[in-house]
Amino acid sequence: MRSAEGRGRTLDEAVDAALIELGESRRNVDVRVISEGPEETLVEVVVIDQAPAPAGAASPANGKAEAARALVEGLLKHMGVRAQVTVRTGTDPITLDISGRDLGGLIGWRGETLRALQSVTNVMLGKNLAEGERVIVDVERYRQRREHTVREIALRAARQVKMTGDAITLDAMQAFERRAIHLALQDDPDVGSSSIGEEPDRRVVVGPRKPAST
Amino acid sequence: MPGGRAAAQRIRKAIALVNAAADGAGDEELTPTEIAEAIRDCLELREIEQGSNVRKYLGEALDATSDGMPADFVAMTLYAALGALGESWSED
Repeated sequence: MRSAEGRGRTLDEAVDAALIELGESRRNVDVRVISEGPEETLVEVVVIDQAPAPAGAASPANGKAEAARALVEGLLKHMGVRAQVTVRTGTDPITLDISGRDLGGLIGWRGETLRALQSVTNVMLGKNLAEGERVIVDVERYRQRREHTVREIALRAARQVKMTGDAITLDAMQAFERRAIHLALQDDPDVGSSSIGEEPDRRVVVGPRKPAST
Repeated sequence: MPGGRAAAQRIRKAIALVNAAADGAGDEELTPTEIAEAIRDCLELREIEQGSNVRKYLGEALDATSDGMPADFVAMTLYAALGALGESWSED
């Protein structure tokens, strides 16, 4: 897995420096803040966007992934959607990437259609999957991009919280997006995250971490 | 169609709860009772009668929740209810 360190006065500058070194775009990488100070920010940027395996090239050992791929391909064919389905390599759980032209309709409002397709896929694959095992379906890396975006939002919010000391309430998000934020901030000693409100308007609040009571 | 929209909103809320339970954001503990409550809220709306199969799908989703069926199955049934409700609008 390729990675590079980047330095800059701001987080954006540091990330950009690493991206230039890697020759990658922002959507294909994962960013980890190593240190952050008023003068300089140091980040590690890891390329996570591996080239997708060609259709049907899943490892024979991974029959489940191939079965899932074939199933989604069939579903799309019945729906009249021309798209390519590939198994994302090196991911757990099994993740299927759908790519093609004009697939916005397959994503739907706030990813609703994509989510429905994922539910149908998991129900149809039910017998092939172990207890609790699930298949993730992504269209044009929509889900992956959303995770990256909300992670960046979380890091920006954390910086602002550190500067002002005030908590910030983010927009309503889906569960996988909220989880991405909680994970992004879980190791931050100064800033923490929690959620308020009810689905589907549940929001993450990023605020100063309270000192543990003794 | 404000009534239909209200019904769609309630169904979407139930779907969001089911999806949150499946995705496990780790920031709330969702019980089948809460999901069932959200589905019952949908069943109480008169607007769901607009679509011929909306009540049927909601009933199936409620049964699936009570029977401990996988979250994806419940979600799929709720999406079917949402789709049936949408079809009733296009028939108007």
